[in-house]
Amino acid sequence: MNALIPFILTFLSISIFIYQTTKMETNLFPKAFATFSLLFIIITFSSISTEWNRMSSELVDEADDPHYGLPDLWDGKQAVCFHFPADSTPSNFNDGRHHFDYDGTDFKTDKNWDSTGACVGGFEGYENGVDLLNAAVEATGTTFAYDYTQYPAGIFIDSIAGVIPCEALTCAVDFSSGFYWQLLHNGAYSPVGISDVVLDDDSVLTWQLASY
Amino acid sequence: MIDAHAVDLGPYGLLLVNLALLSMIGWALWKTEKNISSQSDMIVLGLLGIFAVSGRILLEPIPNVQPVTVIVLMSGIYFGFTRSIILATSVALVSNIFLGHGLWTLYQAFGWSLIGLIGSLLSDKLHSKNITSNTPLMIIAALSGFIFDWTVSLSVLHTLGPDLLLLYLFSGIPFDLLHAAGNMFFVAWLASPLSEIMTRHVTVKKPSAVKELVQNRI
Repeated sequence: MNALIPFILTFLSISIFIYQTTKMETNLFPKAFATFSLLFIIITFSSISTEWNRMSSELVDEADDPHYGLPDLWDGKQAVCFHFPADSTPSNFNDGRHHFDYDGTDFKTDKNWDSTGACVGGFEGYENGVDLLNAAVEATGTTFAYDYTQYPAGIFIDSIAGVIPCEALTCAVDFSSGFYWQLLHNGAYSPVGISDVVLDDDSVLTWQLASY
Repeated sequence: MIDAHAVDLGPYGLLLVNLALLSMIGWALWKTEKNISSQSDMIVLGLLGIFAVSGRILLEPIPNVQPVTVIVLMSGIYFGFTRSIILATSVALVSNIFLGHGLWTLYQAFGWSLIGLIGSLLSDKLHSKNITSNTPLMIIAALSGFIFDWTVSLSVLHTLGPDLLLLYLFSGIPFDLLHAAGNMFFVAWLASPLSEIMTRHVTVKKPSAVKELVQNRI
């Protein structure tokens, strides 16, 4: 809703200006106002429609749907989610799961979700996991920047948003047991690394800390 | 072989061509109507129908902006409910031959007929208030955009449950706003000439027929 306020204020300001400049001319105001209104809505329609859709979107409530818990605005589109441990969640996201659209707009927060973090979605056409991950990271600036180690078989994620698994949670000194950034594809454990994930049109990638 | 007509206008170029065509049709109908000696309202309903169909088809690139709603509303005000039904259903059917015919045509015909009914019901009030500006008509036309859209949206009940209807209506509000703004635009610029034309052909002897012209000349 907040994103619509500038549109409303602009519309009201120009309408008042039109009223002030046309009130001396009989019946000029209705013509000028109607013409301005139509042009304003046509020009801003794409933005208004996008903001309205974000505002009116609801969370998918079918548990067997890979998009479960995500805004229905992203149906048929791709998304990446980052779930953090409760004590290590970046301060901006510790009140639930935030949802960022493809342009980086944080438009909905699910405060009832069972983990804290964020999802970035609304992407289309990505075929490889790394490409989608990079798109999600770029869309939100440096918020979810990740460090990785390159191996011959692909990349291994060391940290996301500054969260290093063995700093956020306790790992064995010799690393015989500990935690790592686990990748889920459509809600199921991914048997291949992010470099080798072949995406569907509506894939959901989820990063969460898991033990080994 | 030279393909001399293969000029790629692009969407905006095509829209300008469509606006030019609609202006030509409107101007020609306006001139034609002036030379019609018959007082029959059916002839002018036919002319208005041609303009409404042309407008709906030619303005199709702009979603939900078309002159049909305002024309049907005004025909309801001036000619009554039954004649507005004729206009509403025939415009919906003929324009959908070009734009796509289906179950929605029935809902569109019903929706525009409802607008005609509203026009005929408000005819007396508009008359009694001796309208000197288009403001009341603009407000009614803007609301008609929402009423028509919501009526047509009822067709989703065939595929979605009633519990999703409100959500569907809510998500379509930007399109309703576009329809409302388009209706206000058409009232602002067309109400006066349409009012003149309709007044010349009002034959319905009932108090609901508006006698005065809409005064919106600058």
